[in-house]
Amino acid sequence: MAALGELERRVMDVLWGSMGTPLTGRQVADQLPDRAYTTVLTILDRLRRKNMVERTTEGKAHRFAALASRETYMAELMVEALGSAQDRQAVLVRFAEAVSPEEAVVLRQALEDLPEDSGSKKP
Amino acid sequence: MNLYLDAGILSALVVLLVCPFTSWLARANWVSRSPRAAVALWHSIGFSATLATIGAGLCVATERFHAGFVGGVGELGEGIVGGHPLQGLGLPDALGLTLAADVGVVLFSMVGVVVLRTVLARARHRRLLNLLATPSQSRTGTLTLDHPSPVAYCLPGIRPRIVISSGTMRLLDQAQLAAVIEHERGHAHERHGLVMLPMTSLTEPFRWIPYARLAPRAVAGLLEMAADDHAARRHAPSSLASALVALSTSAAPPRCAFALASLGVKVRVQRLIASDRTSKRAAIAAGLLGTIAVVAPLAVVLSS
Repeated sequence: MAALGELERRVMDVLWGSMGTPLTGRQVADQLPDRAYTTVLTILDRLRRKNMVERTTEGKAHRFAALASRETYMAELMVEALGSAQDRQAVLVRFAEAVSPEEAVVLRQALEDLPEDSGSKKP
Repeated sequence: MNLYLDAGILSALVVLLVCPFTSWLARANWVSRSPRAAVALWHSIGFSATLATIGAGLCVATERFHAGFVGGVGELGEGIVGGHPLQGLGLPDALGLTLAADVGVVLFSMVGVVVLRTVLARARHRRLLNLLATPSQSRTGTLTLDHPSPVAYCLPGIRPRIVISSGTMRLLDQAQLAAVIEHERGHAHERHGLVMLPMTSLTEPFRWIPYARLAPRAVAGLLEMAADDHAARRHAPSSLASALVALSTSAAPPRCAFALASLGVKVRVQRLIASDRTSKRAAIAAGLLGTIAVVAPLAVVLSS
C-alpha cells in the first residue's frame, strides 16, 4: 500500500506543478513515464474520491486539477502540529510547547552546568 | 433508609473525588516521578466518580424494594424486562433513575461524539500527510515534512505516524534528533492517543467541574513525561532536554497558549536533568490511590 501512497503523492506533485492549469490524464501520465496511463487514471480517480482532485469535462476530454494548493494543505497540517487548534490533543501528541525567552536562558544554563556524562544511560 | 444512606455516601464520594482530591492531585509534584501510574490514577478518579454517580441514582431508585442494592437492581431490571418499569415509582425513585440513566447516556454519547470527531480529524491529517510527507530514507518509520518550522509529533492511529519537519532536522544535532524521535516512538508505542481520548471528551459543558477542567491538561503533561522516560531509557536524557529547549524556544506558537504551556516544558527539562526522575514509591502510591478510588463505590453498594 506504501507504493500506492507514493504514486498518489507523485500525481499530486504533477498537478501542483502545473500552476493551476487543469491537465488531462495523458498529460499527467507523460510526466510519470515509469507508470502506465491506466494506472495514472486510477490514481486520479482515487484522489477525486478523496476530495483532493476535481475533474472538469471539455468536450470529450477530462481535465484534472488539485482542489487546493500544496501550501494550503501544508498550512492545515502546521496549524494542527503547532497547536493553534484548541483541541489539538485530540489529533496529535506533540513534542514541545513554548517557553518564554527568560526561562530558556535559565534552562540552557542548567543544561550547560551538567557534568558531561551525566545521565547518559545507553543500553 | 439504608440505601438512601448509601446514596448519600456515594454522592459525598463523588464530590470528594472531583473537587478537593482532584485539586490536590493537580498540584502534587510527586506524581511526575511516575507519570504512567499517575495517568492511571487520573482515569480511576473519573471512572470511580461516574460509577458512584450512577450507583447513587440506582440506590435512590431501588430503596422501595427493601431488597438491598443488588436485589433492588435485580427487581428494577425485572420490572423493565417485564414491561412495567414505572410501576410503583414514587418521585424520589424517578429522580434517582433519571440521574443514573442521564449520567450514563450523556457520558456515553459525549465519548462517542468525541471519538468519532477525533477519528475523522486524524484520518484527514493522515490523508494530507500521505500527499505531503515523504518517508525518511535514513530513519525508518518516520515521515519528513518539508517545512521550515521546527515540529515533531506523533499522529496516533492503528499505525501511528511520526512526523519530523525539515526545520527540526536543521535545528537539532544527531543525538538530539534521535532522542526526539524516540520520544515520539514512546507516544506511538504506549498508545497515548487512545489514553488521551476519554480526557478529550471532557469538553466545555463540563468545565464547571474541577476534574473536567484539570484532568485533560494534567494527563496531557504526564503523557509527555511518560514519552520522555521512554526516550531517556534509550538515549542521553541531556540530549532530549536540550532538544526540548531548542524546539520550544523556536516554534513560536500563538501567544495565548504561552503561560500555561511553558510550565510543562520547564518542569520536563528539570525532570530530565534530575537524578531521581522516576520512583517506584510514587508508582505504588498512585496505584494504591487509584485502586481505592475504584473499589470504594463498589464496596459501598455491595455492602448493603
